[in-house]
Amino acid sequence: MADPVQAAQEDVLAALIARKKWRFHHIAFMAVGIAFLAWAADGVDLSPKELADGIPKIAKYFALMIPPKWVFADTVWQPAIETVYIAIWGNVLATLIGLPLGVLAARNITRLAPLRFFAKGTLNLLRSISELIWAIFFVAAVGLGPFPGAVALGMNYAGILGRLYAEAMENIDPGPVEAIQATGAGRIQVILFAIFPQVLPQFVTYMLYWFEVGVRSATVLGMVGAGGIGFELVTTIRLFEFRETAVVLLIILAMVTIIDLASSMIRSRIY
Amino acid sequence: MITLENVSKTYEGVSKIVALRNVSIEVKEGEFLVILGPSGAGKSTLMRCINRLVVPTGGRILLDGREVTSRRRELRAARRDIGMVFQQFNLVKRLSVLMNVLSGRLAYHTFWPSLLYRFDQDDKRIAIECLTRVNMEHKAFQRADTLSGGEQQRVAIARALAQEPKVILADEPVASLDPKIARQVLTYLKQIAGELGITVLCNLHQVEYAREYAERVVGLSQGTVVFDGPSGKLTDDILQQIYYRDPETADDRD
Repeated sequence: MADPVQAAQEDVLAALIARKKWRFHHIAFMAVGIAFLAWAADGVDLSPKELADGIPKIAKYFALMIPPKWVFADTVWQPAIETVYIAIWGNVLATLIGLPLGVLAARNITRLAPLRFFAKGTLNLLRSISELIWAIFFVAAVGLGPFPGAVALGMNYAGILGRLYAEAMENIDPGPVEAIQATGAGRIQVILFAIFPQVLPQFVTYMLYWFEVGVRSATVLGMVGAGGIGFELVTTIRLFEFRETAVVLLIILAMVTIIDLASSMIRSRIY
Repeated sequence: MITLENVSKTYEGVSKIVALRNVSIEVKEGEFLVILGPSGAGKSTLMRCINRLVVPTGGRILLDGREVTSRRRELRAARRDIGMVFQQFNLVKRLSVLMNVLSGRLAYHTFWPSLLYRFDQDDKRIAIECLTRVNMEHKAFQRADTLSGGEQQRVAIARALAQEPKVILADEPVASLDPKIARQVLTYLKQIAGELGITVLCNLHQVEYAREYAERVVGLSQGTVVFDGPSGKLTDDILQQIYYRDPETADDRD
């Protein structure tokens, strides 16, 4: 017992055990958590039984899709490509709007708190309005077609990408930033030479991922008349032409798969 | 060349930390000055006060007779004249060696060409020259993160040289390197500075390097200068003062 090393070890062990003990607040937190889940479950009328009963119905829908009516592909390939255009321009717009706002929202770049809050607020606003709602606004403003769809995607994704960019920039190694500042470089030069190179792989990953998400989202935009394959998707479902629906869904799956493959190829080059 | 007059720095936070207490040092042009002291003595803070990466809370600092202030334009001009080398090298790892050295030229340009990561022929010539001085020109197009620690520090020295500075601040430049590479890096620093007439301030915590390389040593302990003289006069007694000063006897430190 007189051994000081052993005594110290025992102290640490005792402290560890004390930390592991269940305290009242642990149990209280868990109780609150469970209550919260139960409350939300009630809100969505969570009913496993209905879901189980519904499975045969869903199976029936899928059964109606077989065999897919392949000739329908002739009609939908053009809107499918339009969907990709929408996703591309939506993402370009999102980056053009989101990147400057992200820079302004990053704590380690923008020291001026009011400016930062303004940027964060704008990003929150852009993000909290979903692309479908933006699409309704823009269709009303500029008419039907893929253009309002692209702008709508751009708005919502600017809010998402801007925030992701800001977080990526906040987590960089501050050393190179200090070094470039010390050379006498200006603010924007520091961002370009010390910050962007560090976050480039993350930026590219986010951009590619949200491009893929964009293609999927763009398929829905057609529902409100904002162009793309969504219009065909909804129409076939409404007309109970499930064999056509199957073709549309398969085309979407193919597009997403191709984009996924392409983006992992690009990512492996930019490490 | 550099004059520090009663420079003080107190970090305000949860608890107040006095990092520097009325430090006055006069550094002559072309001098190779080592600031010696244990970790936490305030060496890094002292250095960062000179190029205002840290804003001092008291006193003034003159560079070439002109006071270094926080006014953006003046500060950028002052920083351009002061190269800095760091313990962790602080290269931008994903950029090439050449690009890292070229970034030492940024203060000579507005941001328009920088927006496209462009530099002119002169910049490139200077960058290659600086790389050649540290014998790293053969790795100019490699990415910085493919280099060893010693090589990275040599590139960092080249980046500082590319600024065509009057002063180089080296903040523990060899603390992350093994003794052999450390001597190599210190030799480069000293040689080049001597050849180009650059004033060098070098933070070290190892006495043997200070004895080997310094012309003059400033001993720093708990934010106060406790020794200032030629490295030959570093007696055991003085080292005791620098490294083992009893906090109890140190005046009003809290």
